[in-house]
Amino acid sequence: MLEARLEQASLLKKVVDAIKDLVQDCNFDCNDSGIALQAMDNSHVALVSMMLRSDAFSPFRCDRNIALGINLGSLTKVLRAAQNDDNLTLKAEDAPDVVNLVFESVDSDRISEYDIKLMDIDQEHLGIPETEYAATISMPSAEFQRICRDLSALSESVSIECSKEGVKFNCQGDIGSGSVQLRSRTDVEKPATNVEIDMTEPVALTFSLKYLVNFCKASGLSDQVKLCLSNEVPLLVEYSLGNGGYLRFYLAPKIGDEE
Amino acid sequence: MARTRAKPVPKEASPEPTSPPPTKTLPPSTSNPPKLFILPRDTSKDARILTLDNPATANPSRYFFCPDKGFYEFTRISAPKQTPRSWLITPENGSRFNDSHEKEKEGEEVKDTDKDTALGSGYITSSPSLFIATPLDILFLLLPALSPASTKQKGHEKANFLSLEDHLEALTTSSPHLKSLLCAHTSLEATIAQRLMTCCDTVDAGDETMYRVSHLRVLECLVQKAERMVAKGLPKSLEDKFITPALEVPVMSIAREESSVSLATSTSFVSTTTATETETETMTTISTSTTEGNYTPALQTTTQILHLLRLRTALTYLLHSYIPAHLRTPLLSLLSTAASPSFPSFVPLESHLSAIAKLKSEAAALRSISDNISRKRGYEDDDEKAAEREEKKRKKEDEEKKKKQESRSIKQLKKVNTSGMSKLSSFFAVKPKTAK
Repeated sequence: MLEARLEQASLLKKVVDAIKDLVQDCNFDCNDSGIALQAMDNSHVALVSMMLRSDAFSPFRCDRNIALGINLGSLTKVLRAAQNDDNLTLKAEDAPDVVNLVFESVDSDRISEYDIKLMDIDQEHLGIPETEYAATISMPSAEFQRICRDLSALSESVSIECSKEGVKFNCQGDIGSGSVQLRSRTDVEKPATNVEIDMTEPVALTFSLKYLVNFCKASGLSDQVKLCLSNEVPLLVEYSLGNGGYLRFYLAPKIGDEE
Repeated sequence: MARTRAKPVPKEASPEPTSPPPTKTLPPSTSNPPKLFILPRDTSKDARILTLDNPATANPSRYFFCPDKGFYEFTRISAPKQTPRSWLITPENGSRFNDSHEKEKEGEEVKDTDKDTALGSGYITSSPSLFIATPLDILFLLLPALSPASTKQKGHEKANFLSLEDHLEALTTSSPHLKSLLCAHTSLEATIAQRLMTCCDTVDAGDETMYRVSHLRVLECLVQKAERMVAKGLPKSLEDKFITPALEVPVMSIAREESSVSLATSTSFVSTTTATETETETMTTISTSTTEGNYTPALQTTTQILHLLRLRTALTYLLHSYIPAHLRTPLLSLLSTAASPSFPSFVPLESHLSAIAKLKSEAAALRSISDNISRKRGYEDDDEKAAEREEKKRKKEDEEKKKKQESRSIKQLKKVNTSGMSKLSSFFAVKPKTAK
């Protein structure tokens, strides 16, 4: 059986909010190392991969590997019933029909309990190898969100160019063009505002802004976001969840026809 | 996230996997487990297992040789896959079951376990197969060497008479085991010479006898063996597979006057000659039951035909299991020419079989017509189709439901122009399902 208790329901709320607009249903794969999730969007050009390690829970117990096939819309509905500060406990049998969620309020003695019916989801899993990226950019997640939102007003796609000078987000649209350039900076007092660029060779790739805007819904999970780029491979956008957990988005680059 | 209100619950609360109690581990199974054999009784001490070329396939195979009794081939008997079995082999005294007694004893001969009476000293083999040694005519082992495949084109007339030594040399080049066997047992040579006499034309050249393989003699030999097989009765599996179905005569329409009940023919035409108060259904059941009893088949299978078919099946079996492929065609053509009076003539059998085939095709044609009349929709088909339709309907409904559930942003994301973007599966390999 599975029993996993989160100190704060907000973590799961934010994770589900971040991915529910990308995928509808997905399997939460639970094993003794934690809870993992991998799913692709309908067009199969973007992939979301989440890992919540067992350390993030206290206690965490999972006797058998189980896959909880959950409709994220339903999960959102149930999670709306939880306060951000509530303790959240996930429970499931070894061969479950339902997943049980218990929200315990910290200051008042309120305990709410919900069951979500599970579904059989036949998803293919992709093996994602550890990749050495040509460029890795760490920046404030709010900054990345703002850039994506601003540029998406102009165009469907953005080119991300990483060079010695810094990183440049560039777009061309019907009404004109726009670009945002960031240089690396370190602020000891406010490390959340740091921009770090770690680069072995210059990279320039084009991505769909609609998808990037979608990924940015995870901004609330972490102060910093990490973008990893290499030519001809999917972009990796990673938000840290603490305790070694992560929420990663992969997006296939636009290659060839530039509208 | 960074700040946590409550102190984390001490780690002990999480159920640490308790270390499993020390268990006795079984010794690892051997990579080369002993095999179970049933060997002939009272073989001499010099009996051994050796590798020779299989006469039919020319693949090296194992044979058992006893200088007194000759050659034995191994037949492997294995349990069906659906009912997996294993052998428990115990020393003779430890066994209680008489039926498995002999197997155990024989297994021990090969295995040579310590003579402990306890059941605990037994052995379990996971493979259920059992190897039985059955006698094999040395003639079959000789044949490939007597008529090598290369001489096939020239025909046997061109083959030269050769001395026994030459034939033996040809034999031993292909299997070194046989060579050592010939050196060790001189009596074997005499046996071989004797068997050669039966299947070869001979010419005396001085004090030496020269041999040349004769297809006619080989065939005579085979026919003899086949006759013997038939006389003892064919195994049930052969009988079921080749004899009974081949001779089945399809049930054709039944003459009406044969039965007192109003009859439907096999084409299900309900006869109107008699008054019919009974339901149509009952009538048809009656008619089918009567068909069992008193119909005269269109073709009578005589015992002679049955015998011929058995003989031919036996011959085909021999040809395919023991005779090299290149010898089969000349032997078969020789058989059809009936070159020797001892050969059976299969002409009546063939005419009988072709008659049956004709009847069968007629029956099949008739049945397809009657099918259209009697059951416009097969019972099974109906069920299957209904299930299929249901499935389709369900899928459609599911899809529609899903579409309704889709959130606005997912719908928006569907409209995104993904031209130039390849699917992620082209970057990352799909993991096999089991690896999950």
